[in-house]
Amino acid sequence: MSDDHDHEDEHLHPPAPMVDEVSEFEVLEIAVRELAIEKGLFTQEDHNQWTDYMHTLGPAPAARLVAKAWLDPEYKKLCVEDGVKASLDVNIDWVNTMPTKFGTPSDYCNLRVMEDTPTLKHVVVCTLCSCYPRPILGQSPEWYRTPNYRRRIVRWPRQVLAEFGLQLPEDVEIRVVDSNQKSRMIVLPVRPEGTEGWTEDQLAEIVTRDCLIGVAVPKPGITNNAKRPVRKAINPYKH
Amino acid sequence: MLPPIRQKVMRHLDIVGLIQPALHQQTHAPSPDMIDNAHFRAYTRSPHDVGGEPDIPITWEEKEEEVWEHNTFVTCEVLAWRGVWNAEERRRRQNVEVGQTQYLGLPYYGRWLLTAAKILVDKQFVTATELQDKVAEVRRRYE
Repeated sequence: MSDDHDHEDEHLHPPAPMVDEVSEFEVLEIAVRELAIEKGLFTQEDHNQWTDYMHTLGPAPAARLVAKAWLDPEYKKLCVEDGVKASLDVNIDWVNTMPTKFGTPSDYCNLRVMEDTPTLKHVVVCTLCSCYPRPILGQSPEWYRTPNYRRRIVRWPRQVLAEFGLQLPEDVEIRVVDSNQKSRMIVLPVRPEGTEGWTEDQLAEIVTRDCLIGVAVPKPGITNNAKRPVRKAINPYKH
Repeated sequence: MLPPIRQKVMRHLDIVGLIQPALHQQTHAPSPDMIDNAHFRAYTRSPHDVGGEPDIPITWEEKEEEVWEHNTFVTCEVLAWRGVWNAEERRRRQNVEVGQTQYLGLPYYGRWLLTAAKILVDKQFVTATELQDKVAEVRRRYE
C-alpha cells in the first residue's frame, strides 16, 4: 500500500522536467546521421570535412570586398557587374572553395553586389526561406531567418530598419532585395565620412555583417554589430 | 488519478489542441459554399510565402547554435554533396510540404532535421522500422 501511496504523491507533485534530458531533436539528429553513414550515403570524413569548411566561413571576405571596392573604382565596377568574379580577389571561389568542388549544394553560385548611393539604401531579405551568401558572409543570423523579419521588411522597411537602429531620412529611397535559391546578395554601402586616407584593413574593420545585410551602415569606430539579446543554447555548439 | 501513460496522452492532446493554427473563423472542414475563390487561394498558398504578411515588432535576437543544429546543417549539405537530394527538393520538403503548423511551430533546423529523416525513408535508403529502431537505440544511450 505504501508503494501505491508514493506513486500517488508523484502524480500530485510531478517532478520538475530534467534539464539534462536529451531532446528529441538531438536523438533524431544522431539517428539520421548514423544511419546515413551506415548505409554508405556519406562518410564520417565527409561530415568532418564539411564542418571544417564551416569553420572557415564568416563575414570577413565580404567586408574585404567592400573595402577594396571603396578604394578602387574599377574593382567596384567589377563587383556590381560580376560579384562571383570579384569574389576571387577576396579568395572566395564560388565553385572550388567548398569541399564539393562544384559549388555549394544549397547556395548555387550567383552573388550580386547591391551598390548603395547617398539617396538609395539596399537591404537584403529572403522572404521564402533564408537564402544567404554563406560562402562569403558565413551563417545567417537568427533574426534574418524569422518569419517576422521576412514578413515585415518588404512592406515596412523604413520602420524595420529603424528598429535595427538605422533611421534614414525620407529622401533616401529604400530598396529591399529578395534573395532566392540561385542569387544571393550583399550590400555595398556608401563609404562613410571620416575614413579619408584609411587603409584597406582599416576600412574592412567597419564593414560589419549587419552592414553587408543592409540593416546598418558603416561608421568610423564601429566594428561590431549592434548589441542584441543572445538566446542561449541548451547544448551550445563550440565554434 | 490517471495512470502515467494516460496523463502523457492527455498532455499530448492538450498541446496538439493548443498548436492548431488560429484562423479566427469557422474551420474544421467547412462545406464548399463557405470557401470562395479568395479563400481557396489563401488556403492553398504555401506556408513559407510570408512576405508582406502583417505582424507586430519583436525583439531582434542573436542566437547560440545547438550542437544538433550544427550537425543537422552539415548532414543536409553532405547529403546534397553526395547526391541524395538536390536544392529544389530540399526546399520543397523543408518549406512547402511541412504544413503551416510545423512551419511556424518548429525551430528552423527542426524542419531541416525532419526532412532529412523523411528523405532517407522516402527514397528507401532505410525502412521506417530501421529509423524507429535507431531512434530507440540512440535514446537508450542517454537513459
